[in-house]
Amino acid sequence: MRLAGWLTVRAAAAVATLAVLSAVVFWATEVLPGDAVGTTSGPNATDAERAAIRISLGLDRPAHERYVDWIGDVARGDLGTSLTGRGVGEIIADRLGASLSVLVPAAVLILVLAGALGVTAGLRVGGRLDRGLNATTLGLVGSSDFLLATGLLVVFTAWWPVLPAVALVPAGDQLWQHPDLVALPALALALGGFGATMRLLRASVAQTAATGFAEFARLNGVRGPRYLWTVVSNAAAPALHGLAIMLAGLLGGSVVVETLFNVPGIGYELTRAVAERDIPLIQGLSMTLGAATLAILLAGDLLAALLDRHRAHSPAGIR
Amino acid sequence: MKLRLILPLLVLAVAALGPWVPVGSPTAPVAGPFESWSGAHVLGTDILGRDVLARVLAGGRMLVVQAAVATLLGSVVGLGVGVWAGMTHRHRAARFTVRGIDALAALPGILLLLVLATGAPGSGAAIVAASVLVSVPFSVRVNRERVAALVRTDYARAAQARGDTVATRLRYDIAPGLAPTALAEAGIRFVAAVQLAATAGFLGLGASAPAANWGRMVQENSAGLTTNPLPVVVPAFLLVVLAVGVTFLLDHLAGRVLGEADRIGAGR
Repeated sequence: MRLAGWLTVRAAAAVATLAVLSAVVFWATEVLPGDAVGTTSGPNATDAERAAIRISLGLDRPAHERYVDWIGDVARGDLGTSLTGRGVGEIIADRLGASLSVLVPAAVLILVLAGALGVTAGLRVGGRLDRGLNATTLGLVGSSDFLLATGLLVVFTAWWPVLPAVALVPAGDQLWQHPDLVALPALALALGGFGATMRLLRASVAQTAATGFAEFARLNGVRGPRYLWTVVSNAAAPALHGLAIMLAGLLGGSVVVETLFNVPGIGYELTRAVAERDIPLIQGLSMTLGAATLAILLAGDLLAALLDRHRAHSPAGIR
Repeated sequence: MKLRLILPLLVLAVAALGPWVPVGSPTAPVAGPFESWSGAHVLGTDILGRDVLARVLAGGRMLVVQAAVATLLGSVVGLGVGVWAGMTHRHRAARFTVRGIDALAALPGILLLLVLATGAPGSGAAIVAASVLVSVPFSVRVNRERVAALVRTDYARAAQARGDTVATRLRYDIAPGLAPTALAEAGIRFVAAVQLAATAGFLGLGASAPAANWGRMVQENSAGLTTNPLPVVVPAFLLVVLAVGVTFLLDHLAGRVLGEADRIGAGR
């Protein structure tokens, strides 16, 4: 019962955050100077033409009225029409596949790599692997996504040209059908998230391995896979929050990586829309990305809570 | 050992003083595109034949200034709200405020950056604003935790019981314990702000095209990597050294103040 109440509070907080985001998005795109009129009318329009476009786009009405209209449409799932004439929802549905075909391999790569290395390093704190990884991950955490992505681009397209630099998908094909095009962007995205995730897992495992029950297990001769399971299963719940934050962070990183590698995904579409000042598209894409981020964080919280609850109630639970 | 403390200071000096070094114009083409390094152009030329050394020297200050302003603003807000929330008796209001600000942390920084940059194209203010929005939730959380712990100490309680004013308690009971935490926190925020500012340059936001910017240099010159890698490698190297180096520097300084136990970057 407490879980349901807690979940309601978290969901309400997520909705409130989304409302704040919508206000920021609306304020930045419609209230600040440089609205859609200048883009639509072109540089040669007369004042009368501009005024006509302003009225046809509904920009002559007060901002709060337009905000309420817009947010009402968004809540009903109508994201409006891009300046190119296509529906924003349609564009997002179109671009989602490409984004996912980069995001999913990247997330899997992070989970496998950070999981294996984080657990190994956490079980042997201060060992050679641990020290080596400590320096490496600090470097990775210190480098922005765009630096890592450019670094990969240098290595794999200029110095050792085995992979294509730009994701040019043949017409009619989907991106996920071409692993060679996915490899570099996914790897770049994975490197960005790997450092922080691995450090977090390592810390969580090291902390668990230093607890009384882990020592008790060791002293009782629990070794190998069983000991590993004892530590990892108890280190998982605290690490889950971190994993959710990492996954949510990948969405932000994907904007940069997709732009650099020309992956026709949602992030690429967003930077393009910002460059072309396509206001309805920017609004729709920002709200979608924001909602996706919040959904991931909420799911992570819920999972961690369930895991915790399960442990607290299970008779074999070690606490 | 000493090198990793000197390097970040050196990069900061390059960024801050670089624009004053008389090496010619950072925006005027002086030779063909992507020429290799030579006596005339120590780092060669970039995609439009501009001197890379001049651009490197000119391209760091804006990033560091934007990051510093964002860190300062974020720290002021973070300290203000954090200290208030940690010391106030109105626990419910404090918890509500902190939760509200915390919710902002869920939004990706790059998303806020892009949205704000749409509203104020070509302006560094959007980048600063995005950095502040991203950093404030963390700053508030860290500062509040520290203040709450300090308020619970025996000496702080004694001061409160004997009726010291809030200002006196802040000055003598809270500030000395809070300063190292706030400093370390500000340093971490600074590094993040530099990265966000560089990413903004990379995405073509902020000050418009001819202006030099380490982030944008990486982006615009990646086409000529095989001919002259220096216009990409040098700014990228400087950015990494700045980020990692400042973290190390803080670790060192905080270690001096806090003692070994509370060091930021030190593993466990």
